[in-house]
This record gives sequence, C-alpha cells and structure tokens, in this order.
Amino acid sequence: MTEENIIEVKNLKKAYADNVVLEDISFTVKKSEKVVLIGPSGGGKSTLLRCLNRLEGDYSGKVVFEGEELNSASKDKLRILRQRMGMVFQQFNLFPNKTVLENITFAPVKLKVDTPQKAIEHAHSLLEQVGLSEKADAYPQSLSGGQQQRVAIARALAMNPEVMLFDEPTSALDPEVVGEVLGVMEKLAADGMTMIIVTHEMSFAQNVADKVLFMDKGRIADSGNPKYIFEETKNTRTQSFLSKVM
Amino acid sequence: MFDFLKQYYPVFLEGTAQTILISIIGIFIGILLGLVFVMFRLSKHKALSYIARVYIAIVRGTPAMIQVMLIYYTLSNILAVPQIQFLGSGLDRVIPGSIALGINSGAYTAEIFRSGIISIPKGQTEAGISLGLSEKTTMFSIILPQAVRNILPALGNEFISLVKESSVLFYIGVQEVTAQALGVGGTLYNFVPPLIVAAAIYFVLTFVLSQLMQLMEKKMGRKYAQSN
Repeated sequence: MTEENIIEVKNLKKAYADNVVLEDISFTVKKSEKVVLIGPSGGGKSTLLRCLNRLEGDYSGKVVFEGEELNSASKDKLRILRQRMGMVFQQFNLFPNKTVLENITFAPVKLKVDTPQKAIEHAHSLLEQVGLSEKADAYPQSLSGGQQQRVAIARALAMNPEVMLFDEPTSALDPEVVGEVLGVMEKLAADGMTMIIVTHEMSFAQNVADKVLFMDKGRIADSGNPKYIFEETKNTRTQSFLSKVM
Repeated sequence: MFDFLKQYYPVFLEGTAQTILISIIGIFIGILLGLVFVMFRLSKHKALSYIARVYIAIVRGTPAMIQVMLIYYTLSNILAVPQIQFLGSGLDRVIPGSIALGINSGAYTAEIFRSGIISIPKGQTEAGISLGLSEKTTMFSIILPQAVRNILPALGNEFISLVKESSVLFYIGVQEVTAQALGVGGTLYNFVPPLIVAAAIYFVLTFVLSQLMQLMEKKMGRKYAQSN
C-alpha cells in the first residue's frame, strides 16, 4: 500500500446466499480524491459504499482504510474507524427528536471528540458552511428535504472525518432543491475533502470527479477520469447507460 | 347506602395506599424486566432471544392469579422476608406479590418495547453506527427515546391493566383495596356497596394515571410538531 492511499479495496466479493451482489471489486482512493460511482440501479453501488464502513459485513476480500483492514478489525477499532468516515444517506436519517444543533453535536460530545462548548461552536460554523445558521434550534421535521440533507452533511462533518461517503444524497429530494445540496458538496470537494459518492447526477459527476467507476451487475465494468468515461470510452454498457440518463 | 364509610374509610384508605404501592413496584419491575427482555429478544445471540421468547410465552399463556400464587409460595420458601406489617399486610406477602405483578407485566412491556423499537426506521441505527457510536449507545440514546414516544399509549394501557389486576394479590392475602372491600362486605353482610367503593377507587386511580400518561405524551410530542 502506498502512503497516499486512504482506502484500498481488493477483490471484494459479497453475496446473499446464491445471489452475488458484488464481485471482483478493486480500487484505491487517494487523499483528496473524489471518486464517483455511477451505474444502473441494482448494480451494487450503494452496497459497495456501505461495505466501505462495514454497514454491510460478510464480504470476502479486503477493505483497507488508513492501513487498517476492516473485516478483521475489532468492534472497538471499527467504531474508531467509522468516526473517521462520514456518511450521508439518501433518506437523511436525521434524529427527529433532536434539534439541528443537537443532531450535529450529539456524536462528537458523546464520543468525547469535542467538549460540549467546542462542539456547539463547531456546529455553528458547520451550519454556516452549509447555509443554515438560522436553523440551529429547529427540529428536522420542520425543514425541507434539501435543508435536512445539508444538516446531515454538517452532522457527518462534525466528527472531522478523513473521508465522506455519500449514498445517493440527492435521490430523495425534490428537483428544485437538488442544487443546494450539490452546491454544498462542491464546496466540500473544493476544500480538499476525500469523497466517495454514489449518484445519478451525471453533470455533477463530470464536474467533481477525479475518478468515475461505472458499476453494472456487481462489477466495476468501466472506470477512468470523467473525460474518458463521458466522452472517450468504447465500453458499450457504459455508453448505453449514459445515453439513457444524459 | 354508603353510611358504612364513616366507620370504615380508614380501611379503604389503607387498601388504596397498598394498591398504589404494589402497582408502583409492579410497574417499576415490569419496565425493568421489559427492557432487559426486549434486549434479549432482539439480541443476535440465539440463546438470549430464546429465553425471552419462553418467558413471554409462559407469562402470556398462563393466568396471572396462578403466576402470583406460584411466585408467592416459591419465594416465601427461599426468601426470608421479616414478618413486618405494612399498610395492613405482611411484607412477606407484599414483596413477593409485587414482584409477581412485575414479572407478569414485564412480558407485556417487553413486547410493547419491541413494537416501538421495530417501528423506528433502520436508517436511524445506521446513522448512529456510521457516526462511530456503539450499538449500545445508538440503541439507548437514539432508538429507545424515539420508540418510547411511539409506545406511550400502549404503555399507558399496560399500566392501567396492572393497577386493576393488582387485585389478584388478594388471593395471597395482601390487603389491597379489593381485599379490604371484601372484608368490609363480610362484616356488613352486604358486599355490593363496598365493592362499588372499591370500583370507584380503581376508576379514580386509573383515570389519574391515564391523565399523567397523556401529559407525558404531549410533552414528548411537542418537539416533533414544533416548526420554525
């Protein structure tokens, strides 16, 4: 493993009984790199992303994060590794019984990453970063989907992660608010965050990605920089997928 | 018709206090057992889950009266409780009796908790885990508070049943309201008026309890409805 690889996936394979959902997956992610996973639904993108912080277990092969192999990591070690990987979900998954501020400060305070005072200051600066300063005391239910997702991003960032995982962050949003969430992600990318993103937003992928992985039927069917994937590839499956979604 | 109350009201007061006492202990033990057994029931360890299933099945499938008697006669053999009189009954009966009520209620409470926990979307657990929280912290700080809010009406029902069913302790000689009413009835050679008084007392107790539960529901629900 080279020094700069934050994540290394090697020969990852996952199956539910006889149904193979991921096979022969290998790739690396360098610091500050933006990797975008695209491909048809059911192709294994989300499952792969969820293997990276072991929300999905029971796979064979290796996922190495900052030199630690996740599959053999102890429960305690795994928790520490997860603290260093932020995750943003399609359905936001904010805690509905906590205010926006409490959503953001809960984990850092509970895990003693920050003192309560510091966590609150940090939360306010994160809210400013995602443009929701005035919503600190609101409950998630009173926010729009786009606002909720921006809070979810702030919540993940509150742990100062090394890597951010995005699982179709805009798929559950009304079209008119997709832009505000992508805007926050673009800013994050520009700030040098390492990001792995599952998305159907092709123009976003084209703008932000350093590397695009096209996944189909549980395999990485094609990969390369955006220019290659979106313009040069000779792979017929990639071409036919892109022709349908663009 | 209720002239006897002038003379016997202290008996009813004592019985009411006894009923409240055994109900509170029963509810408390029921909540504790409910929490423990719901964790067993949902545990990945098959053995724990099996133990919880057996406990719930047995308690739900047998009469409370028999449970109370079995627990009383068993416990009184192995538990040496001093024969202190409290509110008209020996503690050697009150303590096993309330424990029995708790054991009975625990099975129902465990199932109520389970219904609450499985009603919370899986994404909530995943959000907690992905932040690096332990499964335990996620369960107790994120899932359970939301679950409890959802199950308050069902819990209220269970508590109300427990207050009423605490009358089964009459069979092991705990002088709770029903026992006292029957005692007074025996002295008067007329059971109807004292039983009406007992029924009224149960009604007031459960009414107050249900009001308390509603208050709690409102308090816990307020957050969610609030809009900014």
